[in-house]
Amino acid sequence: MGTVGALAITGCSAGSRTGNANATKVTCDYTAPSSATTVNVLAYNSSAIDPFTNTMVSSCTKGNVTVKHDPIDFGGQVTKTTATLAGDSGSYDIIETYGFVIPSLATDKKLMPLDDLYKKYASDYGLDKISASLQKGMSFDGKLYALPMQTQMYVMAYRKDIFAKLGLKIPTTFAEMITAADAIKAAGLMQYPIALPWLATADVSTSYEAAMNSLGSDFVTSDGKVTLNTPEGKQALEALKSLQPYMDPQVTTFDQPKVQQQMYNNTAAMSIMFSGRMNDLTLDKNSTLSTSFAFASPPKVTDSSKYAYDRLSIDGWSIPANTKLDPDMLFVMMASSVNEDASKASVPAAYPAREGMVTADNSPYGQAANDSIAAAMPPVVAADLAAVTTKIRPILVQVLTGAISVDDGLTQMQAAGESAAG
Amino acid sequence: MKRREFWLLFAPSFLVMGGLLVIPLIRTIQWSVENVRYGTPGTFVGFDNYVTALTDPRFGRAVLFTVTVTVITTAILLVLGYVIATGIDRLTKSRPIVLGLLLVSYVLPNLVGAVAFSWLFDDNFGGLVNRFIGLMGGGEVLWFTDQVPNAILIIANTVWHMLPFAMLIILAGLQGVPLELRESANIDGASPLQTHISVIIPTIRGVLGFVTLISIMDVLRMFDNLIPLSPQAEAIGNESIMLYVYSVAFANGAQELGLGSAINVLTIILILIMLIPFIRGIFKEAKALR
Repeated sequence: MGTVGALAITGCSAGSRTGNANATKVTCDYTAPSSATTVNVLAYNSSAIDPFTNTMVSSCTKGNVTVKHDPIDFGGQVTKTTATLAGDSGSYDIIETYGFVIPSLATDKKLMPLDDLYKKYASDYGLDKISASLQKGMSFDGKLYALPMQTQMYVMAYRKDIFAKLGLKIPTTFAEMITAADAIKAAGLMQYPIALPWLATADVSTSYEAAMNSLGSDFVTSDGKVTLNTPEGKQALEALKSLQPYMDPQVTTFDQPKVQQQMYNNTAAMSIMFSGRMNDLTLDKNSTLSTSFAFASPPKVTDSSKYAYDRLSIDGWSIPANTKLDPDMLFVMMASSVNEDASKASVPAAYPAREGMVTADNSPYGQAANDSIAAAMPPVVAADLAAVTTKIRPILVQVLTGAISVDDGLTQMQAAGESAAG
Repeated sequence: MKRREFWLLFAPSFLVMGGLLVIPLIRTIQWSVENVRYGTPGTFVGFDNYVTALTDPRFGRAVLFTVTVTVITTAILLVLGYVIATGIDRLTKSRPIVLGLLLVSYVLPNLVGAVAFSWLFDDNFGGLVNRFIGLMGGGEVLWFTDQVPNAILIIANTVWHMLPFAMLIILAGLQGVPLELRESANIDGASPLQTHISVIIPTIRGVLGFVTLISIMDVLRMFDNLIPLSPQAEAIGNESIMLYVYSVAFANGAQELGLGSAINVLTIILILIMLIPFIRGIFKEAKALR
């Protein structure tokens, strides 16, 4: 079963931020039910997710089957996911999920295992080309719960013009970032050269987890032991605090779009965000500096760190256990949206889950993204990770804003984490 | 009016009020004593949710912040609303244009207005106010991470959004003040300030009470404008009660619907307490009219 061509479509049915420039018309060959049916899709809007959603909506709506997707942001998706999966019947039939939540949703039996469907349709849609490690990241207890669509990893964006002018080398550690930031400040170019997304209600815990990952640790172990009040936890926290003098004093209110804005505005020279945000930096409609940005794998926390300051986030499609629709039809829709042509067309906005799709030639940050994946710590799969992360976040913010000391913060986070983990 | 006609006319309102107000209120009270998760029947937990809320320092901070903002904002709304309404009351031909311009902030969706308002203070998006402060020789103000500047920002936005409503109602009240009363005060030698304090304001006391009542109810329920205006509200103690409810009951996949309901019941009690003087006034007036 192949695609019928990479025809860009003109509508904007998925409410995408990128329009349908990256959408592809593909074959979506399912057995339609006899009565009029609506397939409701829950997926947040972003440059990296929209191409896949748009493809599914535009290619799989036919006959008496309508695939429906309403625009929503990530926070809305999180809330609606909880609500739709709660009862015997839900509002959505296909939901976007990510590796972080798979263990808890799988433990609660909220998602349908996809292994049988995967086997049935793998050859039709070339699903074996989807990275095995990403499939593992969307699995729990040996079962696949989401069909990987794309992945995101931390990438460092920096101002190549400023680095060249000052003779700076691309930072590979936090210390080198500080050295570069000092040089940029000394040259009077910027007051706060480093920009990281540390939004107090979301991104800040991801940043802390990335720092711990660089040191080979995480908030919890795979067997559920909370490991916050540890030497690695302390070192990671102190490393983050060491960057603070080089960041905007209001950094704990900055999400990724605000970090992008700092780069656009020439108020920051180095930023580390998820790769899905990188293509925006290269678009001249967003900034007059679009040609001044270059990309690299994120640095390590220290010279001796095992991994980079990095997080891998895998996005995929899941089927809610409470959907009343035919799982075969839903899986075909999901598989169609991630087929080879659809995945190819999503580059460079996204980093598709299929092997070898992104290279230095077809994506401005392709090499950096590939290097980042190679340097990232493999994700810890633990059912309590999401709950622990939510619980410790307010305390982490208190530490970073100086309201409590690092040691007190670690003690409190350990206690809060253990309470969340039950 | 015959009984049948009365019920014919009253029934639609009764049904709508019952469906949209009474049933949700009963359900909220029921859930407040239960542990409720989406899609599953609640289990009775007595007053555990109330104990959890009342012993959470975060709830105390949210109440303190919300009440403080409510009191300050309502006072500003009354004073500014009265001053502006008095000015507009004197306009003749230009009144529709001025009113139209003043109403822009009120008709904008609160969230949209708050996002645009936040940009005035955010250097990432121009930060016009910051630039002005800089030009006047002032230093950097941390509008989003320092508690007091952030509270000022929130109050300023709330006043900006609600002032047209207060002004419009007061203006309607001013137009109902008999001209003879003002002329009498003038003949008696009252200064303009004395006329306002001793004649006009007492005359429109009911209107001012209504504005106060609505303002208190609206500000106590503030929520959406805090999303752009106070991104780390919890950390700096500028979390409103409704934002607190959202955080514990819904955000990040939380399912504490029982706790959220208990906090809502407590909020209703708080609103009633703050409105007691005005409710009592309304009853007195109604009694006097009988």
